[in-house]
Amino acid sequence: MSTGGPRRVTDRHISEGKENVKKKRLLTGITLTIAAALAFAGLAPLPAQQGKGASGPLITVLNPAIESKMVDRIPLSPRLDTLEGKTIYLVDISWGGPEAAYSVFEEIQSWFAQNIPSAKIIIKRKAGMYTQDDPALWKEIAKNGNAALVGISG
Amino acid sequence: MNIPTIGAAGANVVNYARGYDFEYTNGMPIRYVGFPFPVAGQPRSVAHSYVFERNDVVTGKPMMQAIVDAWTKPLTEKEKISGKPPEARPEPRLLKADTEDNLQQLFKDMDWTDYNPIILPTEERVSAMLKGTSRKADEVVKVINWPGGARAMTVEKVAVCAVMAGAKPAHFPLILAVSTAVPFGNSTSSMANMILVNGPVRNELKMNYGLNVMGPHNEVNSVVGRAYTLLSKTAGNLHSGKTTFSGLGSNIQYNNLCIAENEEALPAGWQPTHVLKGFKPADSIVTVGTGWSYISSVGEVQLHYRPQHLIRDYMRSLTGMGATVIVTPEVAGILKDAQGFATKRDLSKWLAENVEKTVGSYWGNGVISTMYSSMAMQGLEPFASQRKQDPETMMKPFQAGQVNIVVAGQGQTTWFVTDFGVGRGTKVDDWK
Repeated sequence: MSTGGPRRVTDRHISEGKENVKKKRLLTGITLTIAAALAFAGLAPLPAQQGKGASGPLITVLNPAIESKMVDRIPLSPRLDTLEGKTIYLVDISWGGPEAAYSVFEEIQSWFAQNIPSAKIIIKRKAGMYTQDDPALWKEIAKNGNAALVGISG
Repeated sequence: MNIPTIGAAGANVVNYARGYDFEYTNGMPIRYVGFPFPVAGQPRSVAHSYVFERNDVVTGKPMMQAIVDAWTKPLTEKEKISGKPPEARPEPRLLKADTEDNLQQLFKDMDWTDYNPIILPTEERVSAMLKGTSRKADEVVKVINWPGGARAMTVEKVAVCAVMAGAKPAHFPLILAVSTAVPFGNSTSSMANMILVNGPVRNELKMNYGLNVMGPHNEVNSVVGRAYTLLSKTAGNLHSGKTTFSGLGSNIQYNNLCIAENEEALPAGWQPTHVLKGFKPADSIVTVGTGWSYISSVGEVQLHYRPQHLIRDYMRSLTGMGATVIVTPEVAGILKDAQGFATKRDLSKWLAENVEKTVGSYWGNGVISTMYSSMAMQGLEPFASQRKQDPETMMKPFQAGQVNIVVAGQGQTTWFVTDFGVGRGTKVDDWK
């Protein structure tokens, strides 16, 4: 069996062309019925397929896309009433190098010194590359911190 | 951590983090603040302005107000949701029947192509493609978790892309072997890949490993490289602005530098790449390398400047994370006979010992800095010692094992240096 190209499909449909023309309305009706059945079964046409006119032989093809599995939802931790007197960690994941987020975090630290001086700001660099976990740091923050900011990806 | 935590991202990727990443990777409606972009490489005055003067790109509020709010504003009902998510959009095996023109347009609209016409994957064609392997259509080749989504790529899905790329059933085992390395590099930098084929399959499929090996002059080199791209975009779900955010992208991703090694023209004593990786000469192996760039010698070898010296000079511009030097058999012959490199390993060793760049230049590369600076600051060697050196100090960025030598092409004394890191490879016959 040849894998051919579009030409093979075209040839086949040219040879069947006259009959296809005769059957076009019937075929369209059948197709719509099948589409409706697929839609009922959860196999709705993709948005980009909706509302387009079909002129020419109809072809059925396989879908190259693969369904992505969504992950279970995890709620956020409750928020704080105030940042006064709280210990806040700013965690640099090193994206963009050692000065990127760190410089911004030092500016945030400066803002707190001016605006909420009772807050204690601790800047930490995460261990390893940005893709690697750092359980020891998360444990430290959970034990000693009241809030955290992690970043900056980009 | 069970404390209020904010994610911080640049404006270039924050919507990905809040949308796709939430749905398919972490499941937590993390409160993000979005900083103007870029953050890296900016003077301190810019960092100051981001915090004191600019607005959060997510909420539009002044940056620090947005940050304080994200830590203190009570949770919304959506942020309290836990448990299983709603069902993902199903991907039916068959698409709704349509005309050829409409389907060609649909595949473009869905960003499933490289925007060249594809061969539509009819059931007849996919069925024929599947005859190229003994593997079952529903066998899972790989579960692709990057960038999230846990997509189970079956043999049939690979066959669909093989048809789309214009491949024939005889090419399918090679494409299946290549598919084990899907998707291609995904980074805000311009990542790219290189597909290298060794062993008898090169001749069985009539791949090009000679004249014009890196150009558009061979069906198999073309369709195998293209299939990798189509698989990366469909099974890999890599779509610009949604799941991939490369600032410049890479033209290499149209074909992924799909070449074969000219094993027949190797100088005596020089072994094929797959043999150096531990395979037998009779094994058919495909190796997918990951990197960013390649640089042509432009002209031919000169008598008054040794080729290894010019290769060395060019390699100074590479990051030092890996290298593959592609030379014609004619260059290999000069390196062997006139310059005394009895084996590829001898040349790799010489290059590792002689390629030098300044410490400042090495660490000045954003990828090196992002990947290794945190380890240097933790005192991990060799990064810690390297980073303490004067920026003008010369250092050797490569180790011999990182420098691969490939012989390909024919007819001129030219070469390429690339930064592709090459892994061990995959047996093609396992996918027959």
